[in-house]
Order: sequence, then C-alpha cells, then structure tokens
Amino acid sequence: MLEFWDYAFMKRALVATTILSFSFSPVGAFLVLRRLSLAGEAMSHAVVPGIVIAFVIAGLSVTSMLIGGLIAGLSVVLFSSFLAKVTIIRKDAGLASLYLIALALGIFILSLAGSAVPLKSFLFGSILGIDNGTMILIGATTTITLMSFAFLLRPLILSTIDPVYYESQVRWSNWVDYWFMFLVILNLLAAFKALGTLMAVGLMILPATAARYWVITITGYLLTTLVISVLSSWIGLIISFYAPAVPSGPAIVLVAGGFFLFSVCFGPQGLKLQKLQKKET
Amino acid sequence: MSCSNKFISLSTSGLDIGYNNQPALIRNLSFYLTHGDIVAVIGHNGSGKSTFVKTILGIHSAIKGHLMWANHRPHNIAYLGQLTEFDRNFPIQVKDLVAMGAWKSLGFFGTIDEKQQRLIKNALEQTGISDIAKKPIYELSSGQLQRTLFARTIVQNAELILLDEPLTAIDQTTQTHLLDLIDTWAIEKRMVILVMHDVSAALHHCTKALLLGAGKACFGTPREILTPQNLIAHGYMSESQSNWIKQMYQTSPTVEEVL
Repeated sequence: MLEFWDYAFMKRALVATTILSFSFSPVGAFLVLRRLSLAGEAMSHAVVPGIVIAFVIAGLSVTSMLIGGLIAGLSVVLFSSFLAKVTIIRKDAGLASLYLIALALGIFILSLAGSAVPLKSFLFGSILGIDNGTMILIGATTTITLMSFAFLLRPLILSTIDPVYYESQVRWSNWVDYWFMFLVILNLLAAFKALGTLMAVGLMILPATAARYWVITITGYLLTTLVISVLSSWIGLIISFYAPAVPSGPAIVLVAGGFFLFSVCFGPQGLKLQKLQKKET
Repeated sequence: MSCSNKFISLSTSGLDIGYNNQPALIRNLSFYLTHGDIVAVIGHNGSGKSTFVKTILGIHSAIKGHLMWANHRPHNIAYLGQLTEFDRNFPIQVKDLVAMGAWKSLGFFGTIDEKQQRLIKNALEQTGISDIAKKPIYELSSGQLQRTLFARTIVQNAELILLDEPLTAIDQTTQTHLLDLIDTWAIEKRMVILVMHDVSAALHHCTKALLLGAGKACFGTPREILTPQNLIAHGYMSESQSNWIKQMYQTSPTVEEVL
C-alpha cells in the first residue's frame, strides 16, 4: 500500500506548509504581541474581493490573484488608518467596517460571476491546489518576510513594548506598521491556495498564542511558534490525507488548536502557573 | 558625556503648546536649559505637562514658536514615559529591556560589544536590579519596572533626558534612590526634564522649575516658582493645602544652598 509520502502532491504540500511556517511564525507572533490577532482575521477577509475580481478576469492565475489581493488588502489598511486619523471612529472599528464590506463585495461578485471556483476549496484550501506558481509565491513570500524581519525586528519589538519611546527615537515611525501589515497580507495570500481564505489566519495566530504560554524571551517565543506551526502543518496534512473528505485548512488549524488548548492547560504560564501561584500565596 | 559649558543649550520664547483646532494648553512659554540642569515640570492634570515633554521630544509640534537649540538638536535624547504607555505583557527579560537602551547606537544589526556589556552591567547595579536581571518583565512590580527603565536610560547615555512622571506609583525607598540617580545625571552635566508631583522633591533636587496650569507657565528657580501663591494661582493646590509648603520654605535648604 502506498503511504502519504509516496504521493508527489503530498510531498509538495509538506514542503509548501513547512516553508510557509517559517514565514507565518514571526508574522503571527507579532500580530499576537501587538494585539492585532483579530486584525489578522479581518485582513484575511479584506483580500477576498481582490482575489475574486482577479479570478473573474484572469482565472486561477497566481500573479493576478496576488496583485488583486494586495490591492484589496492594502486599500482596507490604508483607508481604515485614514478614517481613524480624520474622523472620530477608532482604527479597529474602521477596519471591522471595511473588511465586512470587502467580504460581502467579494462574495457578491463571486455569485454574480456564477462561480466556477469550488467554493469549498476557495474558503478552506486544498492540498491538491498547490501548483508551481503557488510554490514560487510561497518561496518568494517567505524570503521577503524573513529578510524584512532582519530590519523590522528591533523596531517592531521597541514599538510594541514602548510605542511613545519608539516614536521619540526614530524619524519615521509609521513605516513599521505599514510594512508589517503588508507582510500580513502577503502571507495570507501566499497561504490562500493551501489553507483557504478562512483558515490561513488560523495557522498564523494559533501557534503564536500557544507558544505564548511556554516562553519568557522573544527568541524563545519565535522559535516555539515556528515548531508548533511546522508540527501543526505536518500532522494536519497527514490527517487530511487519510480522511480525504476533510480539507487541509481545517485539519491543520484544528491541530494547531489542539496545541493551543494543550498549552493553555500545561504551559508554565497557562492555567498551571495560576494554580502554583495560588498555592504559594 | 562631559560637556561642562554653562551655555544655554535649548531655549524658547513665546511658545504656544497644545493641539490644533483647540485652545492652547500653554501660552507664551519662555524657558531655557543648560547642561547640568534638572527642570521640575509641575502642574495640575491636563495642564499640558506631557504635551510639553512631547513637544521637546519632537513628536508633537508646537502651535506657535520654535525650540531654539544652541548647536543642533541632540541626536540622542532619552525618554521615559508614563508606565501606562508601556506593554508589560511582552516576553522579554529585564536585562534585554535594559540593553535596548543601546539599540539606538546599534541600528538594525549591530551587536552589543564588551564596552556596552559593561555599561549594561553597571546600569543594572546602579539601579539595584542585578538580582532580577533574568526575570520576565510581566513579573515585575511598578517600582522594579521603573528601575529597569531607568537602567535603560542610563545605557542610552543621552545628553538630554526627559522623564514623564517617573516617580508616580513608586514606593518611597525607590523614589529616593531614583532621585539620587537623577542627581548624578546632573553632576555628569546631562540635562534632565522631570515631570513630577512632589513639590518638596522639586525643591530639593531640581535646579529649575516650570509651573504649568490655567493656560499659563512660569519658569525660574524652584524657590522663586514653587511658592504657595504661584501654586494656588496655577490651580495646582488650594489655599489650605499650601500651608505645609510655607512651613517647608522656612525649614529646608534648596539645591543651590546645598551645593
């Protein structure tokens, strides 16, 4: 009997999600640290109209999907910042309003076009959908993300811990926010085929929230996030292979969710810690 | 850092501070700063103390008037903000937070060399936090966190140091310790701007005082400025509250007298 590693598409999926994990983990870690976990979710919806319009115009082309998604995502980010600056609404409320409009618009256009896209794989991903174009996109995204983090790491840490101090120490402080949100959108788009628009953000956030229970340094945090992310991808893909009815996205995210719940219960800074503290006092 | 000139390094005249489209918080502010000065900034809540600090810091622009730097704006200005601005949940150890004071000189990639390593070790000792150097910051008390941030400020080795209410919510022992540290900064000829609420500490430790409130500002030596009449006129305290200051004036020496 053939095992999962004998299939080319499984090898491809394993490689793709492993590389993706290297890119996802620092992005997810800082989404969590900067209290933007839900903004990640919002962005995964904000890119939808871009992807859909690109699909309607150019079919399943990776390049057009990337361009469409980036335009849609960045428009939502920039417009919500603009609203926060010139009107009374807060950034999160602006973001929430705009991503909902974007998502509805995306589904609206998709329905009008009489979709030829299987909606399930659009929302939840498919390991069969990882073609050469997607592999290149994932590789390029990971390269860009990791190289960006070489520059971004110190500014991101400083602006997260002590934002006013950070603002006082540099001439242009906003670029960190925008570059980081650009990376969030780029990563979500890279993961779109493998995990689907709804599930991509799960692999970004859950390993990062799970890792938070185990570590006290930023290096430890980033490494733990990476390990959990890679393990979730592998285990999730294998589950999805042996239970073909289950799309890869939910399988991977559920495994990551398992890591999260385990960490909540047993991580040194999870429930266990609170019990110990109670005992001490 | 040893520039021992007595020349004015920063001055302003006729500066209006506040937010656009709103009445100015402080009008017609005149003030100057020389090396070795510790300026106490005192005022009621909402009088514009933090806005003043942020204007000096350059992250907020004045409504009218300019900051006039004698040579040029110092490249290295340290800032220690209110603890509410700070994210205490971040996974980082005390020693690493202290080391962040050196990041400005290190840029994106530079690594900490031996000299800076010694500076960090000294800063930990000076602030009395060597024994908690490996603790994550979310386990710290407010006093310990404030000591950590003072250590970061020491490592930053700046010419001008802006402190926004660093002594709020801090116990008396820590407060005394931190004020002594600020004194050593003045001896090293750094310039310190210190937002505070403790009039008695201002009289003892500061060389100048800036009293803000009711849209007005007055600047001079602490003895001239922090008088009961002035404090009442600027809405900082009531007539009855000012009595103890009157007593203090009769009993305690000022910085100039001590020096």
